[in-house]
Amino acid sequence: MVIPGLKSNMINNFKKDCLKRFTSNGFPTRKEENWKFTSSRNLAKFENHVEEIPSIEHLNIDDNTLLFINGILDQGSLNNFKFNDKLNISDLDEITDNSILEFSDNFNEDSIFNLGISDFKKGFYFKFDEKLIIEKPIKIINYYKADQNFSRITSFNIFHVQSGSEISFEENDIYEGMSSFNLKLNKFIIDDNSVLKFGKFNQGVDQNHQLSYNYFTMKKDAILKIDGLNKQSIFNKEFIEVDLNDSGSDVNISILNLGKNNDHLDNNILINHNAESCTSFQHVRNILDNESSAVFNGKVIVLEGAQKTDSNQSNKNLLLSDTSNAYSNPQLEIYADDVSCGHGSTTGALNEDSVFYLRARGIKKTDAIKILIKAFAKEVVDEFSLSSIQDISEIALDSWINEQH
Amino acid sequence: MVKIKNLEASIEDKKILKGIDLDINPGEVHVIMGRNGSGKSTLANVIAGNEAYELDNGSIFMNDEDITEMSIENRALNGIFLCFQYPVAIPGVSMAYFLRAALNAHLNHQGKEEIDALEFLKNSKQILGELGLDDSFLKRSINDGFSGGEKKKSEILQLLSINPKLAVLDETDSGLDVDALRTVAKGVNKFRNNNNAVLIITHYQRLLDYIKPDIVHLMIDGKIVKTGDMSLVEKVEKDGYSWLEE
Repeated sequence: MVIPGLKSNMINNFKKDCLKRFTSNGFPTRKEENWKFTSSRNLAKFENHVEEIPSIEHLNIDDNTLLFINGILDQGSLNNFKFNDKLNISDLDEITDNSILEFSDNFNEDSIFNLGISDFKKGFYFKFDEKLIIEKPIKIINYYKADQNFSRITSFNIFHVQSGSEISFEENDIYEGMSSFNLKLNKFIIDDNSVLKFGKFNQGVDQNHQLSYNYFTMKKDAILKIDGLNKQSIFNKEFIEVDLNDSGSDVNISILNLGKNNDHLDNNILINHNAESCTSFQHVRNILDNESSAVFNGKVIVLEGAQKTDSNQSNKNLLLSDTSNAYSNPQLEIYADDVSCGHGSTTGALNEDSVFYLRARGIKKTDAIKILIKAFAKEVVDEFSLSSIQDISEIALDSWINEQH
Repeated sequence: MVKIKNLEASIEDKKILKGIDLDINPGEVHVIMGRNGSGKSTLANVIAGNEAYELDNGSIFMNDEDITEMSIENRALNGIFLCFQYPVAIPGVSMAYFLRAALNAHLNHQGKEEIDALEFLKNSKQILGELGLDDSFLKRSINDGFSGGEKKKSEILQLLSINPKLAVLDETDSGLDVDALRTVAKGVNKFRNNNNAVLIITHYQRLLDYIKPDIVHLMIDGKIVKTGDMSLVEKVEKDGYSWLEE
């Protein structure tokens, strides 16, 4: 439960600094590496703020769910949350330890991240107990409902998984109401010998823009697994940055994006190997139809002392139309000499020989195409660590394929 | 069963088949031999309906039905089966899923009920055993990471499962060691009966040591220039093809 504490100036100072940086830099331009293929121009139009608190009676919120309404934790869902005696929740206004609010230089320099920090109304620091094992994923529902068009809804929360724990989150965004730009900032602290699985199923709605910044900082022998499926969004951009700060940590990121019409799906992943003997694996696949587009900016930085690093990044793009586009930019920066790092990217249409092969066994052309699209997607879905995200992704994938073909 | 009349085909404006005539009757095994580039594999692909090839002239009849304009899948459903020279790998689709989908497509076409999972597994395991393949083969993705021998055995597994009317073996013997060659030949011989037919396309005699053909055709520059019996194979092994051009 939320324990009231003394107000600290720390968050206000952070907000002021961020506002200063945003005011000075404004919205990013295409000259910036991370924004080269995604225009932020439309985001500037979303200036309104949501006034009314929407009704949530129609939502099915069980005792395994933390509900965020327009970016702010719903007290009712917290009171009903079955693990609320296993964590401490503090208002970010009361944070006195500056390290909790620390972010990477990369995020601190990003103009819209600064906008987000300066803009959020209320955020919380969720500190789960040590040695806490929760087998079933905790559901995080972000319910967005704007009462006027062009609203900007900003959230900022910090989740801390303490040592010896294993916790899973299954995040699902629900969008209703008028058009909005949902700017979501999260920090995850993963302590020694703990496991965090973070699965996300994101199905946008036509008029909404989603931009998220997720920063993960990992200690010794920590494990992080991120699963994600994104579909149906004209603007979905996600930044994931992981700091592997101590030896023996392992991160696995598997993301599938399904684009059609004018969808634009953008993943920016930066993994910093700051310590030795850590492993990281990124696998992002995009399936794009109609005029949709996708961006993959994947980067791994291996610092000088990070010997025995084992890292791989893979981006594969399947283009189902002549008018879809994939921009792929896998990068490696290696300053250590005893490492194993690989990266690769492929972009192409369905293999005609494969279609012929299936058809030559009596399988209809439309079915052959569906089988091949699904097979391409399945290779990443099968890597998802959370079976619940895997199941919902398979259903979403089937319906997406059937809608398209 | 299959009548091919004056078949001409090209790819990227290059004419490959320059008038092929071929009659294949039930119970027969035909062999087509020829040098690289003579058009043997093109003929196999055109019979199967590969859309990469342009059909310029001629017709293909299957049991008196004109299939010249028929789609790839409808040809397959009407009994044509191409054993691929280079079977493609399709990661993410298991052999079991693929094979069952193919079988059910055939059963649906015949107005029969789809095969249930248990019966499918029982039948498949029996064929796998005969081909010296482990049951786990069904769980693997189509041709993904398969050795050359496994790829060809996978084609024979499909042949025996689907049980078509005409099996076209496009250089199925290439890249096989003698054990795999024997296994493949055993599978083809098991498939053979008086109601179906086999068309073997090959460079070499060695497969024909295990599958005895009834009729042998020699192909040069997109045409069948000589038809005869097994003695033709022996002559080609001894003298090559140049005597045909004299």
